[in-house]
Amino acid sequence: MRQEIHISSIIFTFAFLLLVTALSVNTVSAGAWAINCKAHDGKCSLPIGKETVTLEIMPRPVTAMLDLTFTVTLSGKPPEQAPYLDLGMPAMKMGPNRVQLKPAGNGVYKGKGVIVRCKSGRRTWFANVVVPGAGEAKFVFDVVY
Amino acid sequence: MSFIDPLYLVFLATGFTVGFGHCVGMCGPIVVSLSLNLKGRNLYLPHLLYNAGRIITYTLLGGVMGATGSFSMVASNIAGIQQGALIFAGIMIIIMALAMSGWLPLGRTFGDHYNPEGFVVKGFQKLSRIDTVVAYLPVGLLLGLLPCGPVYTALLAAAGAGMNAPTTLEGIIKGMVVMFCFGIGTVPTLFLIAKLVDMGWLKNRQIIYRIGTVLMLIVGVYFIYQGLMF
Repeated sequence: MRQEIHISSIIFTFAFLLLVTALSVNTVSAGAWAINCKAHDGKCSLPIGKETVTLEIMPRPVTAMLDLTFTVTLSGKPPEQAPYLDLGMPAMKMGPNRVQLKPAGNGVYKGKGVIVRCKSGRRTWFANVVVPGAGEAKFVFDVVY
Repeated sequence: MSFIDPLYLVFLATGFTVGFGHCVGMCGPIVVSLSLNLKGRNLYLPHLLYNAGRIITYTLLGGVMGATGSFSMVASNIAGIQQGALIFAGIMIIIMALAMSGWLPLGRTFGDHYNPEGFVVKGFQKLSRIDTVVAYLPVGLLLGLLPCGPVYTALLAAAGAGMNAPTTLEGIIKGMVVMFCFGIGTVPTLFLIAKLVDMGWLKNRQIIYRIGTVLMLIVGVYFIYQGLMF
């Protein structure tokens, strides 16, 4: 009886830890979040349909907990509404962090935002640029802490 | 002035969902430590006080963010305090683990009676003899400062709400409410963890305390390491 209790206690503890681990990490595979943007080096471009969306984050290197300027440039016909971007971590849920972009002329949109710091030490973030009516492009990049 | 902003509901929901995904890892070890130290005593009041302390700190930080409208400025100013909170949490978890295991002859950190002999032991017992449910409130107040990604995100929203508010006072209130809602949202998760650890069939089972001690020591060292590297 005593041994049964011990075994069930151990099983409970490990089940609890597994639950903690499972809940702490998103279930998206690592391959879906391969880095596709060297944000420290300069602009990055991704396609949305037949058009191209370009993202630049300043100042560089892209550092967490600092005010950053996000510049999005769209090729082709301007969208009916200004695009926006959502910041997040592939490996961890961080809560909604949206940067509203304002038109700056010639298909350029700018907005200010902050990439917060994750205590886990993980440094990979994404900026999901949403262009209303056209689609979205997910830039995955590393930041500096 | 609008008193019901959708942002409040968003961050109430965020606190709830992110709580399950994130607070489990960050505050979970602390809650487990506090629960194990209660060793079968009623957990509701201590955890209510711990969570109240945490939410008060969040709310005050939200007010500061709302007043300034600048996340990065406030965040840079409180970074040192957060580092201290992280190290304190690590030390506290280690002391609780050692006390719980009996390896450190101080009695349980919160609430055990122990016959003190030395000066340090007497002092420690005085601290723990505030008997001591009340001690969970300042612990919560302090640990509300722990650096944590989702808390930063909520503070960012509080600063944004402050920046967009027409007056400073409205900015302060909005920032405070955003953080209050976020904090409330995280409570169910932490209560659930506390309750899981306190399940009746686990009480007085020496093995769970041994495993708990080892886990708490590892987590405590990790917190201190994180604090030093912060």
